[in-house]
Amino acid sequence: MKNDTLPLQYHQQVQVTSVSYQGIIENTDATLFDWKKGTSIFDAHPFFEMLRSFMETPGTEALQFPCIHIENGKDDFICDVSIQINPDIITVILFDYTTKYREVNQIAQQKNESILRSRQLELNNQYLLEKEAFKNSFIANINHEIRTPLTSILGFVEVLEKTKLSFEQEELARIIKRESKHLNALIDDMIDISKIESGTLKIVQERFSFEELVRGFEETYSKVAEEKGIAFESDIEDNIQEYLIGDRTRVYQILNNLLNNAFKFTEEGKVSFIVSKNYQRTNKLSLTFKIEDTGFGILEENIPHLFERFTRFEQDKQISGTGLGLAIVKNLVDLQNGEIKVESTPDQGTSFIVKLPFKFEVTKKTAPERKKKKYTLPDTKKKFRILVVEDEEITQYLIMKVLITQGTFFVDIAINGEEAISYLERRAYDLILMDLSTSKQDGFQTTHMIRNNYGDKFISQIPIIGFSGRADENARDKCIRSGMDDFIAKPFEQEDLIYKITKQIAKKAAD
Amino acid sequence: MTLSKKVVLLGHFGVGKTSLFRRFVDNEFSEEYKVTLGVQIKKKVVALPDGRELSMIMWDTEGHSDSVEDTRKSYLLGSHAFIYVFDITREETYKHLNQDLEYLTKNYAKVITKVIGNKLDLVKEKDVVAHLKEENIPFDCLTSAKTNKNVQDFFSELAVAITQ
Repeated sequence: MKNDTLPLQYHQQVQVTSVSYQGIIENTDATLFDWKKGTSIFDAHPFFEMLRSFMETPGTEALQFPCIHIENGKDDFICDVSIQINPDIITVILFDYTTKYREVNQIAQQKNESILRSRQLELNNQYLLEKEAFKNSFIANINHEIRTPLTSILGFVEVLEKTKLSFEQEELARIIKRESKHLNALIDDMIDISKIESGTLKIVQERFSFEELVRGFEETYSKVAEEKGIAFESDIEDNIQEYLIGDRTRVYQILNNLLNNAFKFTEEGKVSFIVSKNYQRTNKLSLTFKIEDTGFGILEENIPHLFERFTRFEQDKQISGTGLGLAIVKNLVDLQNGEIKVESTPDQGTSFIVKLPFKFEVTKKTAPERKKKKYTLPDTKKKFRILVVEDEEITQYLIMKVLITQGTFFVDIAINGEEAISYLERRAYDLILMDLSTSKQDGFQTTHMIRNNYGDKFISQIPIIGFSGRADENARDKCIRSGMDDFIAKPFEQEDLIYKITKQIAKKAAD
Repeated sequence: MTLSKKVVLLGHFGVGKTSLFRRFVDNEFSEEYKVTLGVQIKKKVVALPDGRELSMIMWDTEGHSDSVEDTRKSYLLGSHAFIYVFDITREETYKHLNQDLEYLTKNYAKVITKVIGNKLDLVKEKDVVAHLKEENIPFDCLTSAKTNKNVQDFFSELAVAITQ
């Protein structure tokens, strides 16, 4: 039987079957399925098992089941099934809509697949983000573990350099120092990258001497140029404000990185450092920094990959580097809403052009240049007693060695905050060098106790310098807020350590 | 005499209802995702622990995109058990689970309802269990149609439950 009222493409075939209350097929036209009279409908297809419940509890008169898959051998029909329940017979009518349903199926398939695919992409993305977060926290943690032994290596090399060494030993010590500093720079780069990627690197807005910054580059790189036998030219536009507001540390990092690269890749000719003003409006201005060299240049196909992490091209292989520098530069420029571009011709040279926005103070007069103030210990005949709170033996030994070599210090070592407190109660100290992360009681807790639990001002007002291998730009602020007087990051230069100790003792004596 | 019970697989699209259905009935699995349109029905005869045989008439329904209420009512008539399947890697497939269960309990009080979290091969069981507990998502079993993990045990236990 054919239904001629439907559009041609949906021509349906209909099969009508009468079934007894025992499930026996009484009559069928077998249009779709070749069912035999007298056989059980339950054997025809498991769908019809549902008839049992209506046979057991009559009452329902008609039921519609759309879109039922009913197999006939290898063929799969998709039918709407209508069931009419009469007192003596059940009529099953099958409408074959296979063609129509298959068309609908294709649309549903595409829609669902696209939703599932996008969900899969989201999941993959989430997985990658979690992996990245784990990597960043791993790098941050491993940093401390690497810096501590590095502090010792650098410190002991400096101690070694001051002993009587043969020419060869002096050379070897110099190499150890150079390589340790390189390793330290690599750790700094990795930490910066992990902070940038985890979004924890914040750009600060501080007033700084722009003139001092560029003069510093001129001094440093003139010496480098002289050693290398190439020229260094700088051209700083005159009308740039002496003091600007921006992130001095990160601007320094960007320019130093680019200048350092320019010198590394230039064997003859010159490196130029040009600074010009793009525009100035109210209290804002934009500067262009151009670092140009006559080095061996970059191949055109390498330029798009220049700012990717760990990028090292074939021609770089003779030159030391981590492949992180330019990735950091690019990120730091982006974080400051600046722009960076590169122009290069192989064998002729490269230009990096960086545009950065700054602010400046319109009314305030420029402050006089601040130079590092010199401090001297108050009484050169007296030896000063320093308490070092540090649980790592090698660092204890290094600091002892550095301080005792000066000839002006006595040193006691406490391995944790508790021990430090008991030492303080028994003996007068001129200063405490406090590791921030000792076991049992950390440096912050110990400082809090010293500052708050003692009426004796020789204890409560003792100068405290915190030190740590966790090189965080907030570490110093955190130390000051917790009551310490200063902070020094590991690995430290001996000169810095002595300067900071001298400064605090001198300041205390002046009070 | 062979007992016959109707079991309907319900749940969001793409959660693996058809994979569980095929794994249980034919012990087959395919990575290819194919939309189920309407309903596919197959019979699986299982031996009960007491020696009787049970014909489980498995209805694999078209997945819904929002709530179980979207499922055609006639498919649910005369059911003895519902298996609500969700995908443990897709939150949208279980975020309405509690409301859906409430709907099923209210409208089909006599029907046993079991909840399966599928695709266990994609994540760590311990993490999923902790997450589902935290989110207050009830479930009876976590399965992987792909690896066959917990699938046969689940259906064997269901067979016993619907014949008691």
